[in-house]
Amino acid sequence: MTAKKKTTNFTESFQELEEITRWFDSQEQLDLDAGLKKFERGLELASELKKKLAEVENKVEEIKSKFA
Amino acid sequence: MPTQALSVAEYLKLVNDTLRLIPSDQVVIEGEVSDFRVAQGKWVSFDLKDEQAQAVLKCFMTTWQLKVAIEDGMRVQVKGHPNVYERFGTFKLNVEALEPVGEGALRRAYELLKRKLETEGLFDVSRKRELPRFPERIGLITSRDAAAYGDFLRILNNRWGGVKILHAHVHVQGREAVGEIVAALEYFNHDAAKAAKNNQNNNSNALQGGADVLVLTRGGGGLEDLHAFNDEQVARAIYASKIPVVVAVGHERDESLADFVADVRASTPSNAAERVVPSRSDISYELETLTGHMESRLSHTIQDRAFVLERATNLIGFILERQKERLSRAKEGLLLLVNSWLPRLREGLESSTRVLRQVDPKRVLARGYSLVTVGGHVVRDASTLEVGGEITVQFAAGCADARVSRVNNKGQQKLV
Repeated sequence: MTAKKKTTNFTESFQELEEITRWFDSQEQLDLDAGLKKFERGLELASELKKKLAEVENKVEEIKSKFA
Repeated sequence: MPTQALSVAEYLKLVNDTLRLIPSDQVVIEGEVSDFRVAQGKWVSFDLKDEQAQAVLKCFMTTWQLKVAIEDGMRVQVKGHPNVYERFGTFKLNVEALEPVGEGALRRAYELLKRKLETEGLFDVSRKRELPRFPERIGLITSRDAAAYGDFLRILNNRWGGVKILHAHVHVQGREAVGEIVAALEYFNHDAAKAAKNNQNNNSNALQGGADVLVLTRGGGGLEDLHAFNDEQVARAIYASKIPVVVAVGHERDESLADFVADVRASTPSNAAERVVPSRSDISYELETLTGHMESRLSHTIQDRAFVLERATNLIGFILERQKERLSRAKEGLLLLVNSWLPRLREGLESSTRVLRQVDPKRVLARGYSLVTVGGHVVRDASTLEVGGEITVQFAAGCADARVSRVNNKGQQKLV
């Protein structure tokens, strides 16, 4: 369950981080307050994602059903 | 010689009963296909011929029984039951199984099926789906004894972690391969999806089944080894899969029909792993780039602001300085001006004082003249006086009140 939750978050977190980065690019005049808030969130996401990168194990589950 | 007359139907039945005595299950007939036809999309008929001896065997089967594409001139082996068809009195072999023989025939069968599936649109690029960028559950369809299995897992582990691999063990060659591969594809698309749904409804525990992406793989081999990956049923099962399918067969050069139908065609099992999961180092680099980009945008903005602020401060200082200068210049000018007209003012004042002093009435009185007033008004004409009225006479020193006793020379100015 935790693995599942984490990986779901990985895709979502990564997308969120990409969106934040896009936001920084889309602003002609950056709102400094909003920018700082977004930057903080972005760093938070990046560090979560980096933690996940450290995961090394993949689990193999044999499917019991017979295929014929 | 005993004679017994049989009807034609009775006789043909006797013949067919006799034909059934042939151990057909153990007989394989090999020959060259000619006059191949399909009627109404269902009935397949062709002649099987020997090249040397001029012998022809008429064959009949249905399209469902025909698992490979064939054409005239192809060498095939067939199995079936012979039969005389009563209505037309024709002898035919009801074919139950047909297989192309030799690399050439297999190659032709492959090309024919490939063209057919291509025409049907199974290979269309437009229907190919993108793989999830970060898959959680990978359905792996291969033999656990194949080198492909180990290669795939090894590369997967090198690149990425935290993934669950659902392994469906199937034969990747031999008689069972096609059925097992098709069943595994169906399992992931139906049973697993159902199981996932049930589990989701019951509790929030780990989802069983439900793969994000399927990987069908095996090592390389000749056309005969790869038959399962060139099978029409397998191709159609891949086509029907709701989950994106990655197919990786053998080495770089090998191609299979399954490859063409797949959403992603990987060249080798290792390459399949590379296509399915990102690498840690790539993502790590991407994370650095993303955060670095945000940081530089932000620090640029801060620098811009600081620059604007500094410029504004400088500008205000400059303006203030200029105002101060203007003020002091004005003050100096004013002082200069005051210095120039103050003496003149004083001079003017003094001469005015002199003039005023000369016309001072007191000086006239001092010379002996008097000033007569009535009620504070100076009297200039004696005729304005009333007899008996009171007047005031002002001398250089002191004054006296008097009463008019008589007015002389009315209307004329009285000369003193």
